[in-house]
Amino acid sequence: MIQFRLDRRLGVSTYLQIVHQVRHAVRLGILRPGDQLPTVKEVVGSLAINPNTVQKAYRELEHDGLVEGRPGLGTFVAPTAGGPPPSSHALLRRSLERWLRGAFDAGLDAEDVRALFETSMHDLQKEGVA
Amino acid sequence: MNWLTWRQHRAQFLFGAATLAVITLFLVPSGLGIWHTFRSTGLAGCLAVTGRDCGDLASTFSDRYTGLQFTIPLFMILPALLGVFWGAPLVAREIEQGTHRLAWTQGLTRLRWMSTKVVTLVLATLAGAAVFAFLLSWWSRPFVAASDNRFSFGVFDLRGIVPVAYALFALAAGVAAGALIRRTVAAMGATLGAYVAVRTGIELWARPHYEAARTISYSFFGSGPHPGSGDWVLSTRTVDRAGHLLGNGQSLDFNVLHARCPDLPGPSSGFVSKAPIQACIQRLGIHLQATYQPGNRYWLFQGIESAIFVGLALGLLAFAVWWVRRKVA
Amino acid sequence: MTTPAALTATALGKRYRGHWGLRDCSLEIPAGRISALVGPNGAGKTTLLHLATGLLAPTAGTIETLGRTPGEDPDLLPRIGFMAQDVPLYRSFRVREMLEFGRRTNPGRWDAELAQGRMDRASIDLDQRAGTLSGGQRAQVALALALAKRPELLLLDEPLAALDPLARREFLKALMEGAVDGEVTVVLSSHLLTDLERVCDHLVVLSGGRTQVAGDIEGLLEAHRVLTGPRRDVDRIEGVAAVVQQATTDRQSTLLVRTDGPIIDPAWSVHRVDLEELVLGYLGQPNATALPAPRLARTGAEVSR
Repeated sequence: MIQFRLDRRLGVSTYLQIVHQVRHAVRLGILRPGDQLPTVKEVVGSLAINPNTVQKAYRELEHDGLVEGRPGLGTFVAPTAGGPPPSSHALLRRSLERWLRGAFDAGLDAEDVRALFETSMHDLQKEGVA
Repeated sequence: MNWLTWRQHRAQFLFGAATLAVITLFLVPSGLGIWHTFRSTGLAGCLAVTGRDCGDLASTFSDRYTGLQFTIPLFMILPALLGVFWGAPLVAREIEQGTHRLAWTQGLTRLRWMSTKVVTLVLATLAGAAVFAFLLSWWSRPFVAASDNRFSFGVFDLRGIVPVAYALFALAAGVAAGALIRRTVAAMGATLGAYVAVRTGIELWARPHYEAARTISYSFFGSGPHPGSGDWVLSTRTVDRAGHLLGNGQSLDFNVLHARCPDLPGPSSGFVSKAPIQACIQRLGIHLQATYQPGNRYWLFQGIESAIFVGLALGLLAFAVWWVRRKVA
Repeated sequence: MTTPAALTATALGKRYRGHWGLRDCSLEIPAGRISALVGPNGAGKTTLLHLATGLLAPTAGTIETLGRTPGEDPDLLPRIGFMAQDVPLYRSFRVREMLEFGRRTNPGRWDAELAQGRMDRASIDLDQRAGTLSGGQRAQVALALALAKRPELLLLDEPLAALDPLARREFLKALMEGAVDGEVTVVLSSHLLTDLERVCDHLVVLSGGRTQVAGDIEGLLEAHRVLTGPRRDVDRIEGVAAVVQQATTDRQSTLLVRTDGPIIDPAWSVHRVDLEELVLGYLGQPNATALPAPRLARTGAEVSR
């Protein structure tokens, strides 16, 4: 089972953070098909957040086909859900490292890189790509 | 709700019960002693025969127990304490501590909360005051018989049924003051003040007029109305035949007498013998006039006074319940 | 939205000796929400909650709680849980006795298991006197009392004010768990905007006894933006419905705006707002309001009555 955490500095709404964290966990294989997500009560009991927020996140995940709700039992990762093959991970990671090296060579420091990354991420999210 | 009433007020109940126990421990043994003396000195037997003069026996008996008179003011204040310590904090303490917002937002209505508490306190008050009044009536009966004064201050007020009515009134005044003032200490003070004021007012200005007083005339050298029957003499005046007032009480100014009976020796002539004065009094028709409430009205007066205080108490309690339900928060 | 309202105030007013605690206040809190009631001291939050429970009676206008008139309907009280400001408890009672108090004064509704469970979770000794509890423990006991009567509407007046951050978090966890269990509508008044942002999905801002902002939090955040740009006169910006607040230096203008469409003017850079910015922006400008349009449903409801 996974544990959610909230980052207020992201400026991303709580329900989206939950959605992202589930997607991420499925993608990385931390959550496998058939695994149960924490119940709404468990989530609100550990994060002190609005239950409607959790329900909304789970509904959205369900709508995307990533999880399925079984009445009376809970919410489970759908059998069809699964991350992209690990090879693509390795590939992307290598290209990111290349890009980072280029950035450091150009005189950016870690702070600059992070800011750049987050701005780009933010813009892409706004466009609805990520 | 009864559980809550008990839990919240048990300290007050226990303190009240302890007070009553202390009073009982004082009254019963001393009362037994008083009754023993009353019988063994022959006073009881003497008083049982109407018309006999038991004056000496009675004054010996009364003198022996004058020391106990200090208890009278203590007993007079007891009902007021009930209002101060049971009544005033009922609503005031709740509001002072903010817990009314807890108590009045549970599943039971404020009306239910208030009426349960009030009814419980009223029942406890009635029970306690009844025991108190009964004991005190028994304890003081020999004194009352000996002094023939059951209407007097400190006697009428402590015997019969009126102490119960006073206690009820004090409780109600406390509850109402607490609801209105919302501060425990201030409400306690107001309760005490109101109790003393109302009791004094009724005692001085209302009680003598519950029934039209009777008037009786009798010889200047005679004695007052119906000794031994417990009459309550409100006033005695010395008047002449035409009814003109010559003095309050049994008193005559010699100068007045001299002016109307010129044959009397003047005030400067020293010793005047009794006979000419008596003759003068006789000639002028000087006599005494007493207004009084007959002794057989005692229970009527107890009833009227109790009804007044019970009526006041019910009015105050109804007001307090209404006020709490409608106005307080 | 067609959910019935848990709380409806219409032109509600409450006059105290010499001043109005609440005046001409209209609002609607939909059922099933967790609503934040915020505003400066003296804005009328406590007055509103006391009117909703029937502790106070209105001087003007009407208030309906769960469709009933508080203070007059004896069937309403059992359905409301209320936690008053400063968390009043009977100081001389043991915790066990406080729970007994709840059981006795809520006949037929009391969930003893829930109350006991909450005390276990919070590790509170049942034999401890209420007067010796810490602020966090008091709040937990009061919350257990309010939840164990199984209310449909839970009204909390500044429950977080006296709590340290840890106790605050524990309290909110307990509250949220209770909200899941009971499917209860919650109205929570508080100053602590950051805590509210996590737990609440509906917002009411009171100011000077009136409703200044009311609505779904996500919708409100979506509808507001902060614009920054070079200083210039602001008369009409495409996509801006109203300027809530503006601050200008000699070079730059910063605006909090309510939008009615995308802002495409390239002269402005557009930022999202968080709840704190939004609320403070409005409280700084008492004349600005953001209220839902009067619902047609209300006339319909009156006709059907």
